[in-house]
Order: sequence, then structure tokens, then C-alpha cells
Amino acid sequence: MAESQYSFSLTTFSPSGKLVQIEYALNAVAAGATSLGISATDGVVIATEKKLPSTLVDETTVQKIMTITPSIGVVYSGMGPDFRVLVRRARKTAQTYFQTYKEHIPVAQLVRETAAVMQEFTQTGGVRPFGVSLMMAGYDDNGPQLYQIDPSGSYFAWKASAIGKNMTNAKAFLEKRYSEEVGIEDAVHTALLTLKEGFEGQLSGSNIEVGVIGPDRTFKVLSEAEVNDYLQEVE
Amino acid sequence: MDFFVGIKGKDFVMVCSDTSASHSIISIKQDEDKIVPIDDHKVFCIAGEAGDRVNFSEYIIANVKLYALRNETELSTKSVANYTRGELAAALRSSPYHCNLLLAGYDKETGPALYWMDYLATLNKINTGGTGYGSYFTLSLFDKMWHPELTPDEAVAMIEAGIAEVKKRLVVAPPHYIIKIVDKDGVRVVKNV
Repeated sequence: MAESQYSFSLTTFSPSGKLVQIEYALNAVAAGATSLGISATDGVVIATEKKLPSTLVDETTVQKIMTITPSIGVVYSGMGPDFRVLVRRARKTAQTYFQTYKEHIPVAQLVRETAAVMQEFTQTGGVRPFGVSLMMAGYDDNGPQLYQIDPSGSYFAWKASAIGKNMTNAKAFLEKRYSEEVGIEDAVHTALLTLKEGFEGQLSGSNIEVGVIGPDRTFKVLSEAEVNDYLQEVE
Repeated sequence: MDFFVGIKGKDFVMVCSDTSASHSIISIKQDEDKIVPIDDHKVFCIAGEAGDRVNFSEYIIANVKLYALRNETELSTKSVANYTRGELAAALRSSPYHCNLLLAGYDKETGPALYWMDYLATLNKINTGGTGYGSYFTLSLFDKMWHPELTPDEAVAMIEAGIAEVKKRLVVAPPHYIIKIVDKDGVRVVKNV
């Protein structure tokens, strides 16, 4: 196909107007473990599958959901190491903002700055795009918010969405299940049910990760025990 | 020498500045408004070296405006105060801005706020304060008269008492002053003295 002739260089458009490297980056995301987020009236929940390569891996040391600031958390689908780099940058951006204004960065602004970094890597020589899509969840003066950021640097605010391997089925499930009036507790249940849909095997606190932020504006990654409690309610 | 005072009341901040612009011993004009608006609900009173005052205030105001345009939301008074202090601090060890300033603002969520900054990038949140020789004569007077439930009329009375004291005891006291108020309805002139 003529497309592949233009896949050697990130910074060259193909005849159909695509940047092929970004398409391939999105493929890397689509091959990653499923992650999803749901925005409720009084908070946001994000969750992901924590599929490890072997039972010998110490799963207590693996953390896929990260806190950027006390009121903003993030999860990803795609390449773990690329995620780490972005988390590092986002944390620095948030602290620089606080240093300047002595107030916490609004969610939308952190999303914009992070997306700007990802876009930079689609228009610079000698680099490749990040192989992750991010789901950023936060609570600020504009209320609870959920954003998705793609390798291209485009970002969207969602009421509920999913990324990664099982995203089409998960999004269809969420479309049916989602309602504007849902509260944070129900949102957690819906998130677990959505993960269960595409999950091979039995869900448990050790093979999924859930992060929640409520009206207290403190982002928290739930412990294994807490996740198991929610799972019992869902069964 | 510029005279500025600020008084935080129950739900407003009142600021007063002298209105003379002078160059050594020559008075250039007697009706200069030195209380500069940052946006609809915040003002700067900047005293100090002539060029630095204007350059610095314009720089801060432009960046505050840029933030508002970029993010479709205005900075709070606290944010502007800390940002301004940060800029003073950054320039301090290379080419300092020789300005002392008051920042008065009203935020819908948190109410009135008054901040005092000096050229060394000191920042303090205060109830009453001022810059310049004139403030030395008014500070203890304000301490006596201030209380947390201050009304605009009481604040005007305080400022006029302060001006009277300055005119009586300061050798080169400015002749004319302007008093402005910052509250939920924005910034407006209260009185010309």
C-alpha cells in the first residue's frame, strides 16, 4: 500500500493526510490491557486490568494507576515505560504551577499541558510518539472530570469511556449502562461490571486496579481488600 | 514619595493613593491615578522607581490577562499575589524591580483580600497596611480603628484620618489623594480628597 511507503518518518504526512506513526501508536494502545473511566455526579472512578506476564511476578509492586496530584489520578493503556515518563512530566508540571500560584492546577490545564507534551513528540526530529493513551481523573472547582489523552496529543472529556484491548465492547456496555445521575458508588460497580465483560478468568483485587476520587477531592487507589469488597457487592 | 494605604473590610478592600507625579523637585501633575486595575476585581498600588513601576505592573497584568484568555478562567487574588512575588524573587538576584506594592482583590468564593509586597519579594496577607513615608504615620492609627466588621464608611473615615495625620506631620506631604473600593461589584472611585 502507498501508506507504508510513508511510515518511515514520523514527521512526514502520507498522501491521504495521515501521520502513519501515530496510527501505529494507537495500535500499540489497542493492544494494551483494557482501562476505563466513569464520571459520576460526585466523583470519578478509573480502573484497569492488571494482567501480569507470570504468576511469579510480585503483583504488590506493580502499580498502573498513579497519582499526579492529590486531586488528580491517571491510568493508561499501552506501553508502561512511556506512561512512567509522562507521569513524571505531569507531576512536575503540577508542582511548577503550584510553585507559581500556590494553588492546585485545574484538571483541564494539566490535561492540556500533558497533551502538549505528547503532541511535541509527533512533530520533533529523532523521537517517536508515546505508545499510551491516558485516562486522567480529577476533581477541582469545576467538579469531577474525566479526560482521555491520545498519542497524537488530542484530548477529550468523557462521561464514561474505555481504552485498550476490549474498548469497543466496553464502550458499548458503558453506553447502555451509563446515566447522568449515577453516584460514585454506583459508578464503581458499573466499572467493575464493565471490566468483567471482557476479562478472561475471575476478577479479584489482585488482578485489577481501581482508583477513585470523591467530593473530598483526594484521589485514592483502592487497596486489594477494598476492591474485593466492591467485587463481592457486584457478584 | 508615593503614599499608598489599603484597608480590608467586611466584604471589600479600600485603597488610597496620592495623585502627584513628580520628578525630583518638579511636580509634573497632581491628578495621576496610580491605582492600576489588573482585572475587574483586582488592583495594584505600586510605589518605587519610576520605570520599574510601570514595566513591572504592565508585565504582571499582561500575564494575568494571558492566563485568563488561555484558560477561560480568572486567577484568584492569592494566585496573582504569589505569581507577582515569584517574579520579584526571580529577578531579585540579577536585575531587581525596585517596587513596593499593595494588591487588593475581591474573589466571589473567598471574599476580599489585601496583600503587601516589597522589592525583596516579601509577601504578606494583611488587614491594613501601606507603603512609603506616609504609611509610617497611618499604621498605628489604623491598628486602633480597624475591626473585622468594618463598613465602607468607616474605612473612608479611617483613610481620611490617616491623610490628615500625614498632611500634619510629613514635611513633603502630597496635597491630593484618590480613594477606590474593590468589592463584588468591581472597582470604583469612592472619593477624591
